[in-house]
Amino acid sequence: MTGNLLVFLGAALASAVEMVEALTIVLALGVTRGWRAPLQGAAAALAVLTVLVAVLGPALEAVPIDLLRLVVGSLLLVFGLQWLRKAILRASGLKAVHDEEEAFTKEVAAARAAGRAAGADRYALVISFKSTLLEGLEVAFIVITLGANQGATGIAAAGAFVALAVVVVVGALVRHPLSRVPENTLKFAVGVMLTSFGMFWAGEGVGIDWPGAEAALAALIVLTVIWSLLFTKLLERRPTAVAA
Amino acid sequence: MRQLAHGIVDFVVGDDLWIAVAVVALLAGAAALVHLGGDAWWLLPVGVPAALWISLQRARRTVQRARSSA
Repeated sequence: MTGNLLVFLGAALASAVEMVEALTIVLALGVTRGWRAPLQGAAAALAVLTVLVAVLGPALEAVPIDLLRLVVGSLLLVFGLQWLRKAILRASGLKAVHDEEEAFTKEVAAARAAGRAAGADRYALVISFKSTLLEGLEVAFIVITLGANQGATGIAAAGAFVALAVVVVVGALVRHPLSRVPENTLKFAVGVMLTSFGMFWAGEGVGIDWPGAEAALAALIVLTVIWSLLFTKLLERRPTAVAA
Repeated sequence: MRQLAHGIVDFVVGDDLWIAVAVVALLAGAAALVHLGGDAWWLLPVGVPAALWISLQRARRTVQRARSSA
């Protein structure tokens, strides 16, 4: 039960982070070139991602559990550490924070500069499709791996879709990039969850018996939060900690 | 095909190859400990943060070098 809730939350948070970034591009295209092509491109990308999850998720669930836990746990651990690394570097000022307003302005300028042929707006269609697909691939990867390992691909997919729906509804209402979303905090939280799940499952995959069995996962999450915050504080204190 | 393989590696490994190498080494170490009949559960909670800290230090040094050469 707790495992499924964490899978739901992990997928939802990851989806929220990536969809905020995709939304910025779709919005920029929509306000400068009209809504039809960007919306078609985004819808097509979401359809591709849904098929990917629907096919690969259940297929992975059929793989022997120890092998699945080792392979998928290792991938989640590497992926989670990369998210965490980026979030810590941003939080400590060693890497520039992702700025949705700036991304929106740049995308609007590019969309205005791009020429427009008669008929369908291919530029908007392709950019919207590509951006949504690329941002969504990370979410699909997380949904598939988290879901397959826990035997809960449906729950992970539901988490991603709930977050997607929230981002789309809020985006449609404000028609402006969601710059007030604490993107780096969400990225930090996702990094913590993926790293903890990755350690737990990859450990089980190599034959580790965790003390307290499933309860060890909660302990790993708490520990990961503690050392991640500590690393952020330690890096903030260094004299080189300035915006990159 | 090569581009696709490069894209997949880049997607999974990300900005720092060191992290992927460290994770593989830690899991190999844990598997060896389990095989020898030892307790291996402590290795990942200790080794994973250590690997990330080394990666963060490398990133900090890169920023430092960039600043001093600017």
